[in-house]
Amino acid sequence: MSEAVPAVEIKNLTKVFPVSFRKENYVVAVDNLSFTVGAGEVYGLIGPNGSGKSTTMKVALGLMAPSSGSTKVFGVDSRDVRARNDIGFLPENPYFYKHLSGVETLKFYGKLCGMGGRELKDRIAELLDMVGLVDAKDRRLGGYSKGMLQRIGLAQALIQRPRLVILDEPTAGVDPVGSREIRDLVIKLKDDGISVFLCSHLLEQVQEVCDEVGIIFEGRMRREGNLDDLISIDEQTSLVLENASPDLMRKITELVEKEGGNTKIIEQGKPRTTLERLFLQIATNTKNAKSKD
Amino acid sequence: MATDDATQAQQLGGRNWMISGSRIWTIARGTLTQLIRMKTFYFLIAIAFLLVIVGNLNLQASAASQLSMIKKVSFGTMDLFAWLFAIVATAVLIPRDIEDRTLYTILSKPVLRIEYLLGKLVGVLLVIAIALIGMFIVFSLIIHARTVAFAGAELEYLKGAGKPAADIQLEVNAITSQGLRPALGIAVLAIFLKSAVVASVTIFLSTFASSSLFSIIIGMILYLVGNAREMAMSFWEYESDGSMAVALISKVFKILIPDYQLFSFAEGIVLGEKILPHLVWSMAGMSIFYAGFFIALALLVFYDKEF
Repeated sequence: MSEAVPAVEIKNLTKVFPVSFRKENYVVAVDNLSFTVGAGEVYGLIGPNGSGKSTTMKVALGLMAPSSGSTKVFGVDSRDVRARNDIGFLPENPYFYKHLSGVETLKFYGKLCGMGGRELKDRIAELLDMVGLVDAKDRRLGGYSKGMLQRIGLAQALIQRPRLVILDEPTAGVDPVGSREIRDLVIKLKDDGISVFLCSHLLEQVQEVCDEVGIIFEGRMRREGNLDDLISIDEQTSLVLENASPDLMRKITELVEKEGGNTKIIEQGKPRTTLERLFLQIATNTKNAKSKD
Repeated sequence: MATDDATQAQQLGGRNWMISGSRIWTIARGTLTQLIRMKTFYFLIAIAFLLVIVGNLNLQASAASQLSMIKKVSFGTMDLFAWLFAIVATAVLIPRDIEDRTLYTILSKPVLRIEYLLGKLVGVLLVIAIALIGMFIVFSLIIHARTVAFAGAELEYLKGAGKPAADIQLEVNAITSQGLRPALGIAVLAIFLKSAVVASVTIFLSTFASSSLFSIIIGMILYLVGNAREMAMSFWEYESDGSMAVALISKVFKILIPDYQLFSFAEGIVLGEKILPHLVWSMAGMSIFYAGFFIALALLVFYDKEF
C-alpha cells in the first residue's frame, strides 16, 4: 500500500525571497517546480550552486514555507511536524554538538524521535556498526574527521528508521574512499526499500546511485526522468569486446563499411577507467597488501 | 489507496501532535550538558566561588556586621552570576545552533518549535538552579561555621567580663539572627525566578537577533531599565500632562519591560527582615506571567522563521 503514496510530492512549488522592504524587489529561488519521488526510489536533484536545490530540500523538510504550491511527504504536508516522523535528514557539512560523543549524539536524536530503552540502545549499536564508527563511538564529535562526521550524520538521519532519507550534498568534502562508502550506504538504503532524495552537483556520483534524476537550473526543472533514458544516446550503440584480435576488429570495420547508409564507427579504442576508480583500486590493493603482511 | 496511506501517516505521527515533555526534557538535558562542558560556565562558577570566599574574609567590624556583610556579598554574587549567566548563555545558544546548522537536524526530527524553545530555556534554568544550589550549600556551611564561632567567642568574652546571663543571651541572639535562616532559601528562589525572567526575555531577543552580541547588549540594557523602571515611569507620569497617550505608552512599557525591582525584597531577607507572604506570591505570579509572555512572543517570531 505504501508504494501508492509518493515519498515526496512537490507540486508547482515557488519560493520567493524578498531582498528589501519594497514589494517589487525579490529573488525567485524556485519557480513552479513539480516532481515526485516514488516510494523506494533514489531521486537525484542536480544543478549548480544557487540553482534552488537546497531551498527545495528545506521546503520539503518544513524548514521553509513555500511562497506558493505544495510539498507533501508520504501524503502529509511538509509543514506538519508529523511528516518528520518519516524523514531522516543529512545536511551538507553537518555540524552536530561537538561536546557530545558519537553514542550521545545518536541517543539525543533518538530521544527526539520518541525512542528509548533497549530499542534505542540496540538501534544505536546497529547504526554505529553500519557506518563503521564502533571504535570511535565514545569520542567527542569535536575530534571527528569530515568523513566521520558525515557518517555519524547519516546514522542520526536513520535513527528512527525513516521511510525517506534526504541527503544534501552527502559526499561534499569527503575523500574518494569515504565518498564510496556513503554511496554504498545509499545503495544499501535502496535495497532496504528506503526512499532517498539527494541533492548534489557531483554528477558522476548521482549517476551511480539514482533511479530518477531532475536537472534544476535557475529555480526551474530543465530535464527530468529515468536516468538510463536521460543519458542514453538513442542513435548510437556501444560494443565492448575483451581480447579482440586486430583481425577481428578489421572484420567488424569491414562489415560496418559494407552496411553503408548512415551507419559508421564513431570511436574505436580502449575504454578508460576514471581517475576515481583508479584511486580506489590502488587504495584497496594497498590496504589488502598491508592486512596480508 | 493514497488516502489510506496518508491517513496511516497521520496516525503514525499522531503522538507528536501534542507538546511532548519528553522532547523538551531531551533538549533541556542536551543544553545542560552543553553548558556544563562549555569553558565559560566554569569561568563564571570560579568567579562566583571566588567572590563567596572573599565575602568570608575577616573584617574589622562587630560579629553581627561581619555576618551581615558576608551574606550581602554572597547573595550579591549569586544574583550577579544568575542574571549574567541567564543573559549570556541564553543569547549564545540559539544563534550558535543556527550558525552550526545543528538546528536543521533538530527541527527535521518531529520536534515542535515551542519544544525547542522551552527545552533551551529549561536547560539554562537547570544550570542556574544547580549553580545556585551549589553556591547556597557552600554559603550555608560557611555562614553556619562563622555564626557558631562568633557566638562562642562572644559568649566566652561576655562571661569573662562578668555580664548578666540575660545580656549575654541578647548579644548571642543578635549574632545568631544574622546567621543561617530558612528565609534565606526564599532569597535564593527570588534570584532564580528573576533569572528565569531574564532568560525568557533573552530567548525572545535571540529569536530575531542577528548575533549573540546583540542579544547580550539588549538583554543587559533591558535588565538595567527593568531595575529602574518604576522610578523612571513614576517620574515621567508625574512630569507629563497625564494624557491618554501617556497612559497608553506607560502601560505598554510596563508590560514589555519586566519590573526587576519585584525581586529586590530578597535583599531585605538577607538583611534579616521578615518575609511578607503576599510579596513572595506576587513575585512568583509575575515571574510566571513574564516568562510565559516572553516565550509566547519568542514563539510568535520563531514559529514561521525560515532557516
